Amino acid sequence: MSRPEIYSPEGLRIDGRRWNEVRHVRCAINTHQASSDGSSIIEQGNTKVICNVVGPGEPTGGGVGGSGGNQRAKDDNRVILTVKAVVAPFSTIDRRKRSGNDNRVQEMCLTIQHIFEEAVMGHLQPRSQIEISLYVLSQDGGMLQACINAVSLALVDAGIPMYDYVCACTAGMYDKEVLLDLNRLEENDMPFLTMATLGATRKVALMQLETRVGIDRLEPMMAAAMSGCHHLRDVMDAEVRKHGKSRLARTGV
Amino acid sequence: MATGIKRHHPDGSSAFSLSMSQKVYVRSRKGKATKIVQEHYLRTDIPCSSQLCPLCILNPPKDSSGAVRPAILSRTPPSVKPWGAHYLIPDTNIFVKAMDLMEHKSAFYDVIVLQTVLDELRNISLPLYNRLRALSLSQEKRFYVFHNEFRQETFVERLPGESVNDKNDRAIRTACAWYRVHLDETIGKSSAIPEILLVSNDNDCLRKAKELGVACTNLESYVKALPDTDALLDMIVSETSDVTAPQKLVYQEYYSTSRIQGGIKAGIFHQGVLSISQYNYLEGSVSVPSFERPLLVLGRESLNRAMHGDVVVVEVLPESEWKQPSTKIVEEETITKDDNPEAEDDDDTLVTEKEHAALQEKLKAKNTSAEFRIQPTAKVVGVIRRNWGFYVGHIDASSISSDAAGTRRQTTVFLIPMDKRISKIKIRTRRATGLVGKRILAAVDSWDASSRYPLGHFIRVLGDIESKEAETEALLLEYNVQYQPFTQSVLDCLPAEGHDWKVPTDTSDPRWTGREDLRELLVCSIDPPGCQDIDDALHARVLPNGNYEVGVHIADVSHFVKPDTAMDLEASSRGTTVYLVDKRIDMLPVLLGTNLCSLMPYVERFAFSAIWEMTPDATIVSTRFTKSVIRSKEAFSYEQAQLRIDDKSHVDSLTEGMRILLKISKLLRQKRMDAGALNLASPEVKVRVESEQMDPVDVEIKKAHETNSLVEEFMLLANISVAAKIYDAFPQSAMLRRHAPPPKENFEVLADQLRVCKNMTLNSETSKKLADSLDSCVDSSDPFLNTLIRIMATRCMLAAEYFCSGTMAESDFRHYGLASEIYTHWTSPIRRYADIVAHRQLASAIAYEPLHESLRDKPKLERVCQNINQRHRNAQFAGRASVEYYIGQALKNRELDVEGYVMKVFSNGFVVFIPQFGIEGPIHLRDMKVEYTFDEANYALEFNAGTEKEVRLQLFDKVTVHVETVLEESTGKRKVALRLQSPQIE
Repeated sequence: MSRPEIYSPEGLRIDGRRWNEVRHVRCAINTHQASSDGSSIIEQGNTKVICNVVGPGEPTGGGVGGSGGNQRAKDDNRVILTVKAVVAPFSTIDRRKRSGNDNRVQEMCLTIQHIFEEAVMGHLQPRSQIEISLYVLSQDGGMLQACINAVSLALVDAGIPMYDYVCACTAGMYDKEVLLDLNRLEENDMPFLTMATLGATRKVALMQLETRVGIDRLEPMMAAAMSGCHHLRDVMDAEVRKHGKSRLARTGV
Repeated sequence: MATGIKRHHPDGSSAFSLSMSQKVYVRSRKGKATKIVQEHYLRTDIPCSSQLCPLCILNPPKDSSGAVRPAILSRTPPSVKPWGAHYLIPDTNIFVKAMDLMEHKSAFYDVIVLQTVLDELRNISLPLYNRLRALSLSQEKRFYVFHNEFRQETFVERLPGESVNDKNDRAIRTACAWYRVHLDETIGKSSAIPEILLVSNDNDCLRKAKELGVACTNLESYVKALPDTDALLDMIVSETSDVTAPQKLVYQEYYSTSRIQGGIKAGIFHQGVLSISQYNYLEGSVSVPSFERPLLVLGRESLNRAMHGDVVVVEVLPESEWKQPSTKIVEEETITKDDNPEAEDDDDTLVTEKEHAALQEKLKAKNTSAEFRIQPTAKVVGVIRRNWGFYVGHIDASSISSDAAGTRRQTTVFLIPMDKRISKIKIRTRRATGLVGKRILAAVDSWDASSRYPLGHFIRVLGDIESKEAETEALLLEYNVQYQPFTQSVLDCLPAEGHDWKVPTDTSDPRWTGREDLRELLVCSIDPPGCQDIDDALHARVLPNGNYEVGVHIADVSHFVKPDTAMDLEASSRGTTVYLVDKRIDMLPVLLGTNLCSLMPYVERFAFSAIWEMTPDATIVSTRFTKSVIRSKEAFSYEQAQLRIDDKSHVDSLTEGMRILLKISKLLRQKRMDAGALNLASPEVKVRVESEQMDPVDVEIKKAHETNSLVEEFMLLANISVAAKIYDAFPQSAMLRRHAPPPKENFEVLADQLRVCKNMTLNSETSKKLADSLDSCVDSSDPFLNTLIRIMATRCMLAAEYFCSGTMAESDFRHYGLASEIYTHWTSPIRRYADIVAHRQLASAIAYEPLHESLRDKPKLERVCQNINQRHRNAQFAGRASVEYYIGQALKNRELDVEGYVMKVFSNGFVVFIPQFGIEGPIHLRDMKVEYTFDEANYALEFNAGTEKEVRLQLFDKVTVHVETVLEESTGKRKVALRLQSPQIE
């Protein structure tokens, strides 16, 4: 069977979106009260990620890459972040188990750690540690962006002071067309970047591009990705406020 | 398969309110479950694209550059009784059956192509899909692709137990019904609402559509309602008649796909491209990597419905059945003349007596022949990809049954293609008698195992046979040359100033940035007389240190043709300018080719210059490239330049420069020859056309001057220098040209022929040895013999090709014929697209401008290479065919005796090459009532003419032939007919 059109001349993508539309985002916070201090679940299209945050608490020295945690432990003026991620074997199209030290997953954890070390007001919690655990339940493109967004929400839920949401989104370049928020089929077919911004500002927390792309193509991709980030920030913020309202209503203040 | 719907709350801002996600489980080959989950967003902002609809025009969707696609479907669609004005919605089957109709200019406007249909078509045939996409993009015929599966109202979910086909049919009907309602609602009562007309050949679907209240019809009754019915009806792909009784198979069925794949893997079957012999339509050959010699496929039965150019799978026959290539000239029309197209092949066996006899002689010959002539023989067991395209030919008048004349009954007739390698094609038409004597374009649709000939359909009439327009168009179609005038969007890419465009006088103009001012240099151009597209110019001068400075200046086409513009795409798809005898099919619009880019004398032009410093013995000291502005001092023809150089009275610096150029070019040539460059020959003749009435009057052989090779040497030098530079800058994506060394086997026959007939040796181990041995093949009494051998050697070579440097190992870059390690084309950007690419890459390599994305993209470049290789080949073929046609015309009313050489010997005839016209033609012995024997080992025919003397005719022998032209009945081409004059054998 031949592959369907990635981007039709009529301006529709493989799943019926236009170039600048993100997939449906559904998110919730405080989903796993029993097992964590802060938790969230986010679905971006068919990509689904759960995040649990424990802390801040006593440093245990564990965490991502072992060494990373230990080195940081010496700098005891700042909070220590540890990130670990589990990608479920059933999350992709064919059942495949990823080992715990899968390089790509390790790299993703490290990326997330670096982002949030800057986004969290670490100096307020010296000599303490925050453990972040991610569970990727289903993948349909944009795993990293979904993880970053999930962490953001879970940290908010845990009450960790942050400068702003960190929101992430992907953008790709198909021929001459920028496409926002790629799904799996699109990711396989074109160069794309993942960008994370600090809230609705133009401050870039992450820019990751793993494919070669012409320098002249970069700017439109970045612009599109940034608008996607800002859109996600609104969705996340709305969810947090909704949750806050319902909490307030329950406590009867 | 399972589907789940998730409904979301509509959020005001986005146009899609509901998403549907589909889960499909597919078993993979290993039995593992593979889960494919795809989202599917439904939206309400997909326009109906009718110019009548005020709603959809109000809020059109924008693309990333903010552009809006205008409504396509016209306000006043064509009106056909009894439906009135209407938009058409054909189903998938209609596009499969009648794509040629859709492309026809006289009908089928305002067509809505549903996404369902488009997707289905894509699964059935990618070429058809591409044609349909091209139709909808051109907008000329107003085809609109409506994404019904993404529109909320027209989305159809597959019901439990429903087949995919049924679902698709239902989706089509739903879309029709929606269009109907939508137009009713939005247009209102004020104006006439176009009907929505569903066209389908599926009776069940039509019935259900009627129940829904959708106007519908089948294709035939729709076409019958159109004016010009007959011509259109002929273009519908003929239905293979629904047979109840199992038909008798004429051919062996192809093996199943799995058996073929298994066989190829196991090495039992081999895959390759079939090429049919020019001289024998029943003999094909397939080159496969596992055999040194091409595999022979002999006879209709073994060819098994495969046609020239098809990618086939063959099975090698046991060694006892191996044969040698035919030593006979076999032409289809002489053998199958009396076949009846209407007969359903029920009585006759596949191989007729006559065909059998034609092949019989091979078995006999086996014992006598030299061992090396036996070739592995194979039969076709499967076809991977058909090479079916359009074929130009004419109707075989004798195939029209007498009772069909005058009636409008549909009859089956034979179309005889101009290309002799293509089998006759069965065509159903209602206008058989009207089509006799016309050049006709047709397509092949199918070739069942139960049919002796392929089945095709008529597309259009090009004109009368032998009329110049029809023959030229036939030629262009046959070689797939794009000859349509440039579209407006291409012309829009030209500079607005048009012919008044000038190099800006102000050197601070941005267009001067990075350009060197070389206007003072004494530059001149040397071209064939009457050349209008001058793409190269030269200069040379002595430097103070005694060295020479030599410059090659090439038209700066890439300044005008920017990547990814409409003009660039058009040039890329045309690939090359095609030169016919009386006509030039340009790659770029004429304004650029013959004016703005052309380095005309006395005017300033943008150029791209390569400048070398050389020592007096032509060793390169330094090379540099720069964009420049030049003013050519003079445009010479080869002859003028030669005269000027030879005339000692000219001592001006321009002439001196030319003398330097000539001197260096000789040194360069010598160096090249020493390295083993080949000096090959191809028959080159020029047809002189009297401009007034454009009737060819004479044929002459092109003359070569020293200045020809002067220009050639510097172009080679420039190309080699540029190739090295761009490969250095872009090791992965440089556009280069290579010429693979020919396999040794290719020369075996020629070497043996030379040894036997002329006692000469041909050594083809290296290009150097080949060049030397070619030089030694000289017969002092016959100077032309050497040229003839060179012509034959050229035919043993492989063709040079463009490639992208990242796709080959560096050792394969070599250009065999030129004996250069690396080579590209850079010097003719006006007429070759490869040169434009090389220009861009070079401009980027010298940091003049950034390299465009598409020139870094390896797969994209590979596609470009593939296309221009193909176009280049076709352009050569077309040029040759055009010369052939004109030679035929020039000799039309003349008869004369000329000298020729025997070029090939068959057991029932031989081929004679005539240097004077650069043509070759067969002489059949059946036309001469003589007894003869065929001495195969010595490539000779012995005639028993009379009793006392015996005449022997051997390969390479000089003969005198009588030339006249006849209108060949089989192909409708005017062909040169030869008759042997001396030696006398009759």
